[in-house]
Amino acid sequence: MPKRSIILTVGLLAAAGSVATAQRAVTLLNVSYDPTRELYQEYNTAFAAYYKQKTGVTVTFQQSHGGSGKQARSVIDGLEADVVTLALAYDIDAIAQNARLLPANWQTRLPDNSSPYTSTIVFLVRKGNPKHIRDWNDLARPGISVITPNPKTSGGARWNFLAAWGYALRQPGGTEARARDLVTRIYQNVPVLDAGARGSTTTFVQRGIGDVLIAWENEALLAVKELGPNKFDIVMPSVSILAEPPVAVVDKNAGRHHTAEVAQEYLRYLYSDAGQDIIARNYYRPRNQAVAARYANIFPRMTLFTIDEVFGGWTKAQPLYFGDGGIFDQIYQGR
Amino acid sequence: MRKILGVLLVVVIASAVAAQHLVAQDDSTTARIERLEQQVRINDRLREIWQDSVATVLKAAPVISASRDGFSIRSADNAFSLRIKGYVHSDGRYFLSDSLKPGTTQFLLRRVRPIFEATVFKIYDVRIMPDFGAGTTVLQDAYIEARFAPGFRVRSGKYKPPVGLERLQSATDIVFAERGLPTNLVPNRDVGFQVAGDLFQGRVSYAAALMNGVPDVSLGDGDNNDDKDLAGRIFFTPFRNSNGNLLQNLGFGVSGTLGNQVGTPTTTGAGLAGYRTAGQATFFAFRNNNALNGTTMADGRITRVSPQANYYAGRFGFMGEYVKTKHRVSLNGVVETIPVEAWQVVGTFGLFGGSPSFRGINPKKAFDPKAGGWGALELAVRYGRLTVGDEAFPVYADSTTSARQASGVGIGLNWYLNRNVKLVTSYEQTRFKAGAATGNREKESVLFSRVQFSF
Repeated sequence: MPKRSIILTVGLLAAAGSVATAQRAVTLLNVSYDPTRELYQEYNTAFAAYYKQKTGVTVTFQQSHGGSGKQARSVIDGLEADVVTLALAYDIDAIAQNARLLPANWQTRLPDNSSPYTSTIVFLVRKGNPKHIRDWNDLARPGISVITPNPKTSGGARWNFLAAWGYALRQPGGTEARARDLVTRIYQNVPVLDAGARGSTTTFVQRGIGDVLIAWENEALLAVKELGPNKFDIVMPSVSILAEPPVAVVDKNAGRHHTAEVAQEYLRYLYSDAGQDIIARNYYRPRNQAVAARYANIFPRMTLFTIDEVFGGWTKAQPLYFGDGGIFDQIYQGR
Repeated sequence: MRKILGVLLVVVIASAVAAQHLVAQDDSTTARIERLEQQVRINDRLREIWQDSVATVLKAAPVISASRDGFSIRSADNAFSLRIKGYVHSDGRYFLSDSLKPGTTQFLLRRVRPIFEATVFKIYDVRIMPDFGAGTTVLQDAYIEARFAPGFRVRSGKYKPPVGLERLQSATDIVFAERGLPTNLVPNRDVGFQVAGDLFQGRVSYAAALMNGVPDVSLGDGDNNDDKDLAGRIFFTPFRNSNGNLLQNLGFGVSGTLGNQVGTPTTTGAGLAGYRTAGQATFFAFRNNNALNGTTMADGRITRVSPQANYYAGRFGFMGEYVKTKHRVSLNGVVETIPVEAWQVVGTFGLFGGSPSFRGINPKKAFDPKAGGWGALELAVRYGRLTVGDEAFPVYADSTTSARQASGVGIGLNWYLNRNVKLVTSYEQTRFKAGAATGNREKESVLFSRVQFSF
């Protein structure tokens, strides 16, 4: 073939590629955990307006919500998330390790270990607290019906489990054996294990099952707001766990979709004053101290421990407590 | 008096005990009811969760489908699928009043084509379509295509080069039993790479391909020279998204090829094709005696250019194309460039039951007289002409055996019983200039019938 034809072919291919790129629509798929629906609904609207003004590009969003562990499995199996905003770092680690869609050091790429907001675990009880539930040991009393999701599928449930375990360890004379005994007795009081935190809220709030819901603080505050303070009370236990839900760009998916730039900006904007304000309005504890001070009446001071302090991080805790045949399996199968 | 007081005291005490007992009994009953209510709620919720789990499992399960578009199995997220399709053309071809009998009146299986299509990871497609028609096995399509974006698809394998308008129309959708004269001048199937896409919400379609290069109307699986052919097409449908616009289904464009071909003396034409009538009789062929001396061979540049258009509005449909080719040929070392041109216009009219389109007619009601359905009936006419340049005669082709020009007129009636079954009847008459020892080759009159089954 003459050289001219080759040049023409290459030119056509390049032109075709350029036109195709110029036509691309920017859509982000955010794969998140169960209770963040309301947060990201508001945040996405705000970010789209911000990004449109900044770059002129229109961003549309697709949201996927479910139990954090299940969501991570979906991404590993091919759900093409541009960003993941999950309940715990271990689930994003699993995506990095099993699917290699983002680097192992993903947590260092954003401030605060890539957790732009925190939350904790509290109790939601019926109005007036008729069963007098004050602390974790009350959940183990005979006759108390406890609602919590399944730690095998729900990130929130894993925080619940470890919060109870950590409480027991921190009591005078607290040992692993005593912690196991307490948590075993709590799970003996669990009649229904939902797959995710939102499902457990439905069980407790809408279906009227149980005396107490072990819940994300944000989920408990939202339930009280939505259904009225005359139906439920929030009980803050004496000690709980600091939950740090992380966020990350799924590099390979974003690269393939040509959305890496907007995805990075999407997560960075969570740390902005505007982003932190939206976070606080949706009952997540903001990292920004100035914003946190504005919402201090919503988020009372609590004694919180971190997973690193008590359990040595998710890498150790996950297989020990929630792996196949782990402590949760032993406890729950032995009911 | 004391007796009375004593009795009263006993009654009061008994009443108090009885009342206390009743209260205790009430508390116990309320608690039992509450416990039972809780248990009922728990059972209901467990059933709800179980149903959700089943729904989730079903949602993730592969979907098996059988419809008028074929049979398929696909993953729940549509990322993986296997589709089985196909079509059969059972034809009758009847030559009328031809004393020279250019063809044989016969029934034949013109096309028997199973089609296997698969998609993996959402964007990677493969299509394999053999043809067992006429007692032979020919691989028609076998290609892999990656759909990176609507405007950017990359294909590799064997497929129709993006040139002839009627050639690009599926064999299940063509209006007449056989394609018209211009299809003689465009490649049928070739092997290579192609970049294609739809731009501006589909208003512009483009395709650019690098292929081995094949003679006119031919299909190839390899090449006999190092030169490769370039094929390209751009097609505009500027009003396609304007609902209600009279020009909504207007399309026009241009295509072409550029390449080099080198022939060797063989029985199949030395890199040059013969041209056929609708009855599939060859009315033109370059000289060929199966020897190096005396055989006209492809010897260098071949170009094709083809402006083309179609238009569909209501019951009317129109398709027109023009093709001009230039072949550089040689005979006994003497080189010449031979121009050949062909054109046709096709008009269709939906008599009832549906509107014509490039994809045929989709009947509004399938044939079912009891339910008042009669399918769709389509009337079609066409006229076309193919002219071989004077440069071909007498050196490179023999005008006593090869016609200089063929002009064909056809009329057809197509009955779409449903989307899958179509009955085709058409009559074609072709007249020639030259092509016989004395004057013109005898006109050809052929009646076609076809039963088409596609799924």
